[in-house]
Amino acid sequence: MAQQEMGYQDDNDGQERSLSEWQQELQTPFPRRPEWAGASVETSYAGPDLLYDPGYASHSARTLRHGDYTRRSAPLIDQVSNGWRNSEKTAGFYAAEPEDHDLRLCDLEDEGSCPNTTADLVRSRRFRRMLAVVLVAAVVLYYSWRWYLQPRLQEEWDLKQGFMPARSNGTYGIARAGHFEGTAIKWLDPELVPGGEGDSKGNRRLVFVGDIHGCKKELLHLLEKVGFDAKTDHLIATGDTVSKGPDNVGVLDELIRLKADSVRGNHEDRLLEAAKTLLGTNLPPESAAATSQGYAKDAKLLRELKPKHMRYLRDMPLMLRIPALPHASASRRKDKDRVHENIIVVHAGVVPHVPLEKQDPYFVMNMRSIDDRTHLPSALRETKKGKSRPWMEIWNWYNDRLFRGRSLKGFHLYSADEYEEEQLAESQGWLGSLWDGVFGTGKAKMKPQVVVYGHDSKAGLQMHRWSKGLDSGCVAGGKLTAMVLDAKGKTEIVQVGCKNYKT
Amino acid sequence: MGFNLSKLALYFSLLVCITTSGVSGLVKRDAPYEQVNDHPTFSHQKTDKDEPDKYFHESTFSEHYDGRFAEAPLIYEDRRSHLTALLHTYISAMQDMGAETWLMHGTLLGWYWNRAILPWDSDLDVMITERSLHHLATFHNMSIHHFSLPSPPTEPRLKRDYLLEINPHYKNSSVESVNKIDARWIDIETGLFIDITTLRRNATAHSLGEVDEMMVKDKHHYVYDDIFPLRVSSFEGAAVNVPFAYAEILVEEYGETALSEVHFENHRFDVERGEWRALRYAELVRFQRQGALLGGSFWGRKLDSESLFPD
Repeated sequence: MAQQEMGYQDDNDGQERSLSEWQQELQTPFPRRPEWAGASVETSYAGPDLLYDPGYASHSARTLRHGDYTRRSAPLIDQVSNGWRNSEKTAGFYAAEPEDHDLRLCDLEDEGSCPNTTADLVRSRRFRRMLAVVLVAAVVLYYSWRWYLQPRLQEEWDLKQGFMPARSNGTYGIARAGHFEGTAIKWLDPELVPGGEGDSKGNRRLVFVGDIHGCKKELLHLLEKVGFDAKTDHLIATGDTVSKGPDNVGVLDELIRLKADSVRGNHEDRLLEAAKTLLGTNLPPESAAATSQGYAKDAKLLRELKPKHMRYLRDMPLMLRIPALPHASASRRKDKDRVHENIIVVHAGVVPHVPLEKQDPYFVMNMRSIDDRTHLPSALRETKKGKSRPWMEIWNWYNDRLFRGRSLKGFHLYSADEYEEEQLAESQGWLGSLWDGVFGTGKAKMKPQVVVYGHDSKAGLQMHRWSKGLDSGCVAGGKLTAMVLDAKGKTEIVQVGCKNYKT
Repeated sequence: MGFNLSKLALYFSLLVCITTSGVSGLVKRDAPYEQVNDHPTFSHQKTDKDEPDKYFHESTFSEHYDGRFAEAPLIYEDRRSHLTALLHTYISAMQDMGAETWLMHGTLLGWYWNRAILPWDSDLDVMITERSLHHLATFHNMSIHHFSLPSPPTEPRLKRDYLLEINPHYKNSSVESVNKIDARWIDIETGLFIDITTLRRNATAHSLGEVDEMMVKDKHHYVYDDIFPLRVSSFEGAAVNVPFAYAEILVEEYGETALSEVHFENHRFDVERGEWRALRYAELVRFQRQGALLGGSFWGRKLDSESLFPD
């Protein structure tokens, strides 16, 4: 059939030519189809006319398509050329041959190889611009991490670790500690609270005063400056009302007359202890040489004090607590001029997170710093061996955390009740804690509190969000400071100058 | 001739006596065993030949026992009751004699933690004033105090004797390496004792102008105002004195961890009961395995062996 189509004719059809004639015929271009080619057959082949194309001999076998038969009468073998010998082999051919593979991508002479393309890239301006931007960004990121972020995160972490049992084998507040003779914690008389039950109109004020140390004249001057009215105002001293100054008995008389409250300071503590051995005896006074200068002065003062003074000193509690003012406006996180929460008045300081009953009375009256890890306080500003911080730093961090409602999970526990609560929370599992997180637990969360204190005259006036330090070193020639708190919770600082009484 | 010989013999024997007595009797050391005791059968006191000036000596078997009165140390369970009796009798006797004394060092640390003697302690440390020491030395040296201590109703009261011995080197106020202890309150039955040191004026600091500095012969230094005025508190059920700035003294001597760490000397402070309990080996292993020595709340750490081996 194919033969019929092609018009195949017998070999001996009267067309016997010599080989050279054939060759000539094949190689020279024909303007038209020769006679013996027969009728043309329509094919779909769109490429060059292979048989009669002069360049046919050089065409490679690959251009000859499989199903496209051309018009021919020559044997198929003649269409096969040897061009395949010169053509490039595809990569697949040489898959098993590694010798030439090395230089494939790194051939320096080749345009598309790796080193050449990278060199081009580097030289290009756009790439260099991008590179510069990336490098600058990296440097900025690195240094901002090292100088700002990392120290802050480290500080947060260190502060938090002091509260957790992870790094230490114990903490302050577990040991029984010292003993306080007298009332340790006293709540302010409700009648005296501004805006409280005794003050519906909100006229009352509370006046907190720093270490007075027997400076009676300055105290009177300050009260005058504040506009103290005994009917509506109440004076609260932060301890150390006596010793060192010119008129100790006068100050006590004034405080008793005004029915002022005070917390016990370290000097009052000293006086009360010394009174146990000195008062009621007829022994001759101890000289400073036999005892110490401070002790001799205390002994002298004790002889001047009357029973009512001693009773007043003994009535001073370790801590005075004032409930949150009912009329105070809503509290904000960074507002230093307002006090809306519970107030604790102490002489020197309190350790955060430790319950008030467990605080060592000696430290409450003497502390200036806290050890980083154990939270053990110290009367020194910086302990010699351990790492210590000013206690109000940690106090402020802790109360800020309470204010924001951050969890205290993992912090130390100090009582059986706390332990049971923690066990309960743990037994709930993740679903329970999720529920609590969304809808809130039924029980009350711990509330932040503000601390008002004195004792640290070197630091001077220290007004922070959660701690107010009022000792501005009056007896050494500094100032006597008062903080006035009104019913709305607003605080005002009033100061008077003092004479230097330190000899 | 006979007269001369006998005189010579007399002088010779006198010479021998004097020299031998010079070697043993005239050298100052604690009172000889024969004069103070007849039990145990012989003295177990160290001779300390390399320290001839040392007055007080300890036993050969332990630093915390007087060898003239004991032949072996007490076991852990018995020691506690004897130490408590030692303390009670000491306080009572000092009060009777009018001496001003207060707790210090390890005993003060036990007071701070839970008003009791720390269980691993083998001795007690107290201090007295110079004036009190002089009074005791003048009138009460080598006195034996007889006590009859309370006991359960069915049993007879315990009869105990205590010796107060003062070191004659007490007059020397400078720091000494061998005679740091100024006096001892010794339990004659068991050999336990209380070391009494004296708080003296620091003469060198005084000459330099720091008038309130005090010192002790065992190289401790204090400020007068840190110790006085003394506070009255309770300890093991008795009324004792403690220094004014007790917390500062403890932190300076032992560090912050001494007032906060609950694990020490294989004992653990039971937070719920407020007492130090000895860890048995199994408990120690359990704690270490659970990693509970570090980390975790200190509440709820049961120290009973029942929870170790639940059935």
